[in-house]
Amino acid sequence: MRMYLMFTMKAFSNQLAYRSEVWLRLLGNFVTILIQVEIWRAVIGNGSVAGIKAEQMITYSIINTLLFALLLNGVSSKVDGSLKSGGIASELIKPLSYPLYLLFDGLGNSLYQLAFTAAPSLLIAGLFFGILPPATLTHFFAFLLALILALIISFLLGYLISLLAFWFMNHFALSWMMGGLITIFSGSFLPIWFFPPSWASVAKMLPFQYMGYVPAAIYLGNITETELWQVFAMGVGWIVGLLVLVQWLWTRAVRRLVVQGG
Amino acid sequence: MDIISVNDITKTYRQYRRFPGLIGSVRSLFTREYIEETAVRNLSFSIKEGEAVGYLGPNGAGKSTMIKMMTGILVPTVGELRVLGSVPHQARKDNSRQIGVVFGQRSQLWWDLPVKDSFDLHKYIYKIPPITFEKNLEFCVELLAIKDFIQKPVRQLSLGQRMRVEIAMALLHEPKILFLDEPTIGLDVIAKDQIRQFLRTVNRDKRVTIVLTTHDMKDIEEICPRMIVVNKGSVVYDGSVVELRNRLGNERQVVIDFREEPGLIDMPGITLLQEEGLRRTYSFAKSDASVFDLVSRIAAKYPVEDASIESADIDSVIRRLYQQLAEADLKRQIG
Ligand SMILES: Nc1ncnc2c1ncn2[C@@H]1O[C@H](COP(=O)(O)OP(=O)(O)OP(=O)(O)O)[C@@H](O)[C@H]1O
Ligand SMILES: [Mg+2]
Repeated sequence: MRMYLMFTMKAFSNQLAYRSEVWLRLLGNFVTILIQVEIWRAVIGNGSVAGIKAEQMITYSIINTLLFALLLNGVSSKVDGSLKSGGIASELIKPLSYPLYLLFDGLGNSLYQLAFTAAPSLLIAGLFFGILPPATLTHFFAFLLALILALIISFLLGYLISLLAFWFMNHFALSWMMGGLITIFSGSFLPIWFFPPSWASVAKMLPFQYMGYVPAAIYLGNITETELWQVFAMGVGWIVGLLVLVQWLWTRAVRRLVVQGG
Repeated sequence: MDIISVNDITKTYRQYRRFPGLIGSVRSLFTREYIEETAVRNLSFSIKEGEAVGYLGPNGAGKSTMIKMMTGILVPTVGELRVLGSVPHQARKDNSRQIGVVFGQRSQLWWDLPVKDSFDLHKYIYKIPPITFEKNLEFCVELLAIKDFIQKPVRQLSLGQRMRVEIAMALLHEPKILFLDEPTIGLDVIAKDQIRQFLRTVNRDKRVTIVLTTHDMKDIEEICPRMIVVNKGSVVYDGSVVELRNRLGNERQVVIDFREEPGLIDMPGITLLQEEGLRRTYSFAKSDASVFDLVSRIAAKYPVEDASIESADIDSVIRRLYQQLAEADLKRQIG
């Protein structure tokens, strides 16, 4: 365990080398949030649409924009890079679990984003646009738990993509597809409650909602306490399912592994 | 008990055909056309604990492929492979604690960490007890002269310095087997010597089994009593360096400087190879009388100024072996 935490620390400190990017990221987040705020203000105005007020949508947008920075989206391109350079050899000859190594390395990046991007952005966005408090204390804790689910699911999906790339040998196309699915079905831009009913029921069956819609909707209290259990149970179900899937794929992918360079 | 046993191993690389352009990349998603290339073909050998084996062969012979399979990062297509009693890719994590690996062409160090920090990280990854770690670190730092740059980040090291650090790293967890894929590539003579001496110590004193690939015959002569020569994925020689020399290099050359024109020298077992003024080069069949004997017999009869005996160096032995292999190939292609 200690050694995996060292990978987290290492990834975190590696990111420090890119400190100059911080301002750019803060600006990027600000603009992204600003645009969404303007859109929702224009669409909803002073009233409400489907029972949702503009302030709620602003909070929803802020949470989603900042959450996106924390997700472990870099996993599959890291594996892809390692495969192309042959660097995967150095990772595989060590007595470590490769996925755990990837997970903790990714968490280091997330931690960095939390400290240097998400937290300051939250402050700025709060000052400029205002953020609603969490619906209840229970919802707040449930929100924190949902964040953890979001991280794990984003990791598993990224890892899944990198394993599928063993068969389709085209990481770019796969991750592009995954990106599209996440953008639409996570509800990060358009919350699932605005989806037409048939699409909403599809989105609520998929794991992507945990990477956007679920944490934000919990924070705002749009998921009732009784529904929480159901949502979490399904999230954990997805995690278990994905775990089994990636484990199985890994045992098969290893046979196809080609370590480049000699 | 064999520490490594390779039994009829074949490794075939499959390369999927790619189509150029954007439409091509979509097409590559659906077509499964591929070409196969056999890098290792029905290969068998076994290595006992404590041996030091040089794994040799021309470019593309399948050496790196074999090393990758033995270290568990590549899965053989066919055949049975056992390292430390288990199948390497299945027991990858367990085996990795007991083997050390150095890829001459690829660094395993953390690029932006100081050398010392890389060592410390290694300690955690391999769960090395502190006392063992300190002891081994001291041993390696001392013998490989790492002290001078132990605080430098890895990216600032010269190739020779980095290679010494890579080798030290591979040994900190006291592996039973050390695999080295071209550990001396691109190093100067002094660095090579230092590494060879160190590896010899590690093999003789610490009883670490060594498997190393190289193109430098001196590495093998100085470290490995046994060599396995492969070509196109198959073993073409497995035995001692001395034996190969005897088999292929059983001719010696003698260069004799005469004081005056000696005329035709009539002596059984010698052949004139070259004539340069008063300097003649002869080849002697070694199996006959000792070379020294022959030279003194010539010296007794002819006006010899100076003589030097040159045994065929191992490089030329290997060159001859590769040439023979190439000729055999050519014959097979023609015939
Ligand atoms: N990733 C790969 N995909 C396809 N073919 C490969 C791959 N890696 C190696 N090969 C082929 O397999 C054969 C053996 O390669 P390998 O790297 O094992 O040779 P080697 O003996 O280490 O050569 P060298 O002395 O040049 O390092 C070569 O013909 C090479 O082209
Ligand atoms: Mg090689």
